[in-house]
Amino acid sequence: MSGFWSICLSQFEQELPPQQFNTWIKPLRLEGEDNLAEGLRLLAPNGFILKWVKERYLSRIEELAHSHFSAPVAISLGIGGGRTAVAVARPTAPAAAPAEIPAAAPRIMAPAPAAAPAPAPAARRNNGPQSSYEKTRLIPGFTFDNLVVGKANDLARAAAMQVAQNPGVSYNPLFIYGGVGLGKTHIIHAIGNAILQADPDKVVRYVHAEDYYSDVVRAYQQKSFDVFKRYYKSLDVLLVDDVQFFNGKNRTQEEFFFVFNALTEAKKQIIITCDTYPKDINGLDDRLVTRFDWGLTVQIEPPETEMRVAILKKKAEAEGVALDDEVAFFIAKHLRSNVRELEGALKKVLAYSLFHGREIALDLAKDALKDVIGAFNRQITVENIQKTVAEYYKIKVADLYSKKRTRAIARPRQVAMWLAKDLTPHSYPMIGDAFGGRDHTTVLHAVRTIDTLRAKDNELNHDLHVLLQVLKG
Amino acid sequence: MLPPMRQLLLDLMPESPPSLANFVGDGNEEALAALADWFSGPQPLFLLWGEAGSGKSHLLQASGLHYVDGAQDPLLAGAPAEAEGLAVDNVQALAEAGQIALFNHFNRLRLAVENGRPGKLLVASDQPPAALQLREDLRTRLGSALIFRLRPLSDEEKLAALAAQAADRGLKLSREALTYLMNRSSRDMRTLAALLAALDRYSLEHKRPITLPLLREVLQHAGDSTV
Repeated sequence: MSGFWSICLSQFEQELPPQQFNTWIKPLRLEGEDNLAEGLRLLAPNGFILKWVKERYLSRIEELAHSHFSAPVAISLGIGGGRTAVAVARPTAPAAAPAEIPAAAPRIMAPAPAAAPAPAPAARRNNGPQSSYEKTRLIPGFTFDNLVVGKANDLARAAAMQVAQNPGVSYNPLFIYGGVGLGKTHIIHAIGNAILQADPDKVVRYVHAEDYYSDVVRAYQQKSFDVFKRYYKSLDVLLVDDVQFFNGKNRTQEEFFFVFNALTEAKKQIIITCDTYPKDINGLDDRLVTRFDWGLTVQIEPPETEMRVAILKKKAEAEGVALDDEVAFFIAKHLRSNVRELEGALKKVLAYSLFHGREIALDLAKDALKDVIGAFNRQITVENIQKTVAEYYKIKVADLYSKKRTRAIARPRQVAMWLAKDLTPHSYPMIGDAFGGRDHTTVLHAVRTIDTLRAKDNELNHDLHVLLQVLKG
Repeated sequence: MLPPMRQLLLDLMPESPPSLANFVGDGNEEALAALADWFSGPQPLFLLWGEAGSGKSHLLQASGLHYVDGAQDPLLAGAPAEAEGLAVDNVQALAEAGQIALFNHFNRLRLAVENGRPGKLLVASDQPPAALQLREDLRTRLGSALIFRLRPLSDEEKLAALAAQAADRGLKLSREALTYLMNRSSRDMRTLAALLAALDRYSLEHKRPITLPLLREVLQHAGDSTV
């Protein structure tokens, strides 16, 4: 490393807390020391770090340069590759498994250490902005290979694979329904990718119902319904995601009705996903509901705990991290309703482990997930505090805003005020109001009293500790 | 004749777009490190949550992404259809149509990333995704993000930040005056900073130094709208 920059680095290392140094200074690169006349060039890995450095550290760097070279030196800023940020680099980088799940969708773009990704269709992308693969709108990371199978999606997967092997022949349409975040989108993309892999000449198109609606609107505005119809009728396989979005959109439903008829008559495959059973879709034309039932309707259910554990382990494996059962179980137990949130939780645990340089273990997972698991972080209100304090001291909430001044009431009231000051951003006058319209000086007095008392009164200190724990969850 | 107090109240808004130079990151080092790293990584989505005044809007506005505030623009009409980077503030305030718009932006940006093009969506909310009252399909997608809570400053840190902001404005405020302000107004940084700006203007307009009586005057008038 060059002379000045290494001096600069060690200077910042002394001046800044290590976390700040690692985040903002360490990822920088300095160029141009060999040709000072041209000025120095400071490269940051991205615009955000660049901006931060410019607004907070550049003047200091200029100062150091001035004293090092005994003359002012021009320093320009730019974005440049090289090393990326160090602090949390690895987990976020390949952790790119897309948000729809349920399995460990390994990335193709980023070098995913483990897990061999889906081959054929993916290989053909990146050939310019609109390669033929890209026109399908398929997500290459969603394949049957990385779909975690369990009781919850067994049937849907079997049907989907059969359709993928014989498009247009077995079940038409294939209608997959289930709650959000259970992997419908993964399966529908997997079908498209499998069909293309078997026959690259097939014209496959994935469309989210909202985008289909936008297409209809555009065709309407541009009076180009002919082009629109011709395009959709030319497809071999049409994959429509989240068809419940057609709710109440009559023109869209009408257009879709014609496309549906044309494609099924020509023995072209249609696959549809939805959040409910066809008959339960709100605002959907009866003739569409009837047609959705022509083929096969399969359900995806929420995954049971073992399956969620398996999903987590597969996802972690795709990131090149081994997750032990205990940790996977902890995450799976706390995020039950859908698979998507499991992914957010896992990302957080990995990021946390890297930032703190700690092994992934149960304790770490608990710490890491405090921000993610909502129950740990309920919004704390003054009412909430009053209720909790009253219960704790076995008095009535009404006593807290009454005029009573006996110690058995006054002390809990002061405790509640102290907690309100500590746990909410409310002003003293507002807190006073919430306690029966008391003056803000009363609140100030309460806060000071408790602050003084807690230093010498163990019992009070214990009360506060317990109450804080309860309120913070 | 003094300018009417109404005018002052209307002006109780943050002034210029915030820069990163005055962002107080204490206690949020991990979130900031993850955010700084996210900008160079391939992930399309990042979510910050925290209470009012914890610095979410500040970071979003300084992020360099196209900023849209769900509280001001619940339909998300201000988000350009082709934006490569979006920072959407206050998602909890989005109307149904705005939620669908965000859902579409998310799908669009994710697909862009999948195809090797840029796509960044930075989102802020007042609660973690698990507790947000949004469309379930959107809520769970937000839940798949890298999620960080921004912690608000302690009172002592707020005092220090406020003193620094006052110094930036060339104001000399005693600790006593700052404490007075903290004890009587809402204690979130945004309100405090706005009050400071109002004080600055008020003292300039009336050619009076900032003293406790002046503070009292301003707070009395501003009281209803800020606390």
